[in-house]
Amino acid sequence: MSRKVIIRSVVPVALIIVAALAFAIFEPIQVLPRIRLAPGYLLTDQAAATLTSEDVRGDIVLYNFGYSGCGDDCAAMNQTMVDIQGRLDEADVGDTDVRFVTISFDTATDKPPVLQEYAATLDADPKQWSFASGEPDHIANVVKAGFEAYYEERDDGSFTFDPVFVLVDGWGVIRGEYRYQTNASDTDKILHHLDILGEEIRNANGAATLAYEAAHFFLCYP
Amino acid sequence: MTVVQRRIALGLVVTLIGALFAWFFVLPRFRPHIFAGAVIQSTQKAPRLELQASDGTTVRMTDFEGKVVVVYFGYTFCPDVCPATLSKLASAVEILGEEAEDVQVMMVSVDPARDTPELLAEYVTHFHPDFLGITGDEATVNRIATLYGVFYQKSDGTEASGYTIDHTSTVILVDREGYLKLVLPFEGTAEQIAADIDYFIG
Repeated sequence: MSRKVIIRSVVPVALIIVAALAFAIFEPIQVLPRIRLAPGYLLTDQAAATLTSEDVRGDIVLYNFGYSGCGDDCAAMNQTMVDIQGRLDEADVGDTDVRFVTISFDTATDKPPVLQEYAATLDADPKQWSFASGEPDHIANVVKAGFEAYYEERDDGSFTFDPVFVLVDGWGVIRGEYRYQTNASDTDKILHHLDILGEEIRNANGAATLAYEAAHFFLCYP
Repeated sequence: MTVVQRRIALGLVVTLIGALFAWFFVLPRFRPHIFAGAVIQSTQKAPRLELQASDGTTVRMTDFEGKVVVVYFGYTFCPDVCPATLSKLASAVEILGEEAEDVQVMMVSVDPARDTPELLAEYVTHFHPDFLGITGDEATVNRIATLYGVFYQKSDGTEASGYTIDHTSTVILVDREGYLKLVLPFEGTAEQIAADIDYFIG
């Protein structure tokens, strides 16, 4: 085989390898991982209306898990949700709606009027931020098995739990889990991730889909 | 026509045939697949599924390792969405031809009160003889549906039809190794579904 033929066949392959390496190293596009399927659910919100996983399909949803009698244990987590709601315009999500859902695992106490009051103490915008609960078995299945957020009732009726935020895309796929940190830094991180998710939703169409798939393939995660 | 002209013409014809061959048979092998559904990169296996088939046997997701499993949650009294989805899945299986031997389509009933295993079997096989209908008690079905991202709720129907059930209408794909890999929207066509299944058949 002549030198010319070898060069002609090797160069394109080398270029492809270099391009792939460059993509993996420089990460021109960042994406959030598609972690797993979020659970389906049927809950009742603070207005005593039904809230289901289908109601939020197509929206980006930030979930957290707590209960109205939580007090100081939830203060930092709630403040993060309040801050994100207030600074949402810093994330460019285009036309996609962003919603907040706080699921209470105190199913005995957190009926709609209690959740309504709880939402009011946090200045939650009811159009954007839902507080919901449901049947005990269903809540356990949704929160513990589905969102993988631990909680357990103590003897005194209070709960021990992991403060966790879960970010879900419009397909119902979990794209971010933020555990064990309830300080303000989560706000910046989650806003940054909302921005990345918004960019993917806006741009991953047509031929650009391949570039975004490449970003997923090369694990171009923030 | 001179010898040189003849060679040029022959060269052009050969080049054209080569280009057509590459376009239709070679390039598609290298062209990345664009999914109609949402891909999931979970490192966890698909949620545990253990339900009953019409012959009384227990069906587990693990029974189908080595096959691509297509899971749909619906019910036999479903007036529109379920028959439309199952028809599309049947068409997708037909498109796949012999490759469909590596595929198992199953519908989990979200109406265990009315969908007896026998009724379910009769219903799903009406769409395709290899389709499987599975069910269980209400609590088990609810637990499994939740973990597969599916919501369902009884809704008032007509006096003639009885109640209906609002439910998530997505189709879920589990790969040969048992990982939940893809969520397909109701809007997906039979061709798109077949192409996505084909990708996971490999």
